[in-house]
Amino acid sequence: MGFIRLIIFGFLGMTVIYCLVSWYSRSVRLERLEKDWDADPQGDDNARSAHIEAGMVSYEKGFRKKLILLIYVVPVVFVTTAFFVTNTN
Amino acid sequence: MLHRIKFGLKVLIIVLVGGLAHYILPQHDVVRVTSTEIIRQDFSWYNRMFYAQADSGSVEAANRDMRLINTVRRKTWIWGFFRRESEEVMVYRNEDTGWIWPPYFKFDSSNLQAEAAAVVSPRDDEQWVVLTHYGWRNKLMTVFPNAIGVRAVDGPGVRIIPWFNIFFFGFVIVAYVFLRAAWRQFRERNLDPTLDAVDGHMDAASDRARGVWGRFTDWIGTWREKPRR
Repeated sequence: MGFIRLIIFGFLGMTVIYCLVSWYSRSVRLERLEKDWDADPQGDDNARSAHIEAGMVSYEKGFRKKLILLIYVVPVVFVTTAFFVTNTN
Repeated sequence: MLHRIKFGLKVLIIVLVGGLAHYILPQHDVVRVTSTEIIRQDFSWYNRMFYAQADSGSVEAANRDMRLINTVRRKTWIWGFFRRESEEVMVYRNEDTGWIWPPYFKFDSSNLQAEAAAVVSPRDDEQWVVLTHYGWRNKLMTVFPNAIGVRAVDGPGVRIIPWFNIFFFGFVIVAYVFLRAAWRQFRERNLDPTLDAVDGHMDAASDRARGVWGRFTDWIGTWREKPRR
């Protein structure tokens, strides 16, 4: 019973952290794309939004976004490690 | 007055969080186990929260038997950072913490009790052990720290590096820095533009209001007698 509670609440907590981190990461990437463009603009506003759009699409496919999934992996590894460290002599 | 209330609240939060960390985080004592025993524990409403639950897989009753580990330990200064030569007695409880709180995932109380019994040593043939525990000893409320593990060491002069606590506080610092950065990002990218837009709407609305009112006053003005040339 405690185990099920741990899974449910742990999953909820990890999801909150995942949403927070992925929002932050996306926002930072968007800001960098905008600033890169504004530092060296190569076209009008349409080209600017196309550039940003393309950058965000490549971000969505990128490795960095997948790294955020570690938020679901690391706590599980930690709990497993703690379990074994505590319960084996 | 408000400053004092804020200051007091900050102090209160620091004391509460610090106390919680001191209660929950693992600490290492250098001890000599003198005996192990089992007592029946009848919990009261105010000391119940300082105990875990019945052994994993057992039913929770109003009172139950509880394992204790009696030791002699080296006294310390400042949360165990500086060990002293003098000794004192210390009693630890030995309970399963189960799956959730505190997150030690300890299910091996019986085994730990056997390990503790295996290193019981008399005064003339001392076997020192490092006993990891969390919690507090309080004689007035009959509260014991909970033992997590024992590890035999050569002597009482052993050097202990609290790796877990080092990583834990490192993680806390990283989490704090991240949360601050995320908040700043949120304010810069989402909150401030929204507030500016709201401000802009307010300005435009007041301009419009000025326009209506201005036209009205102009219209009133047309009733007035024109100044004679």
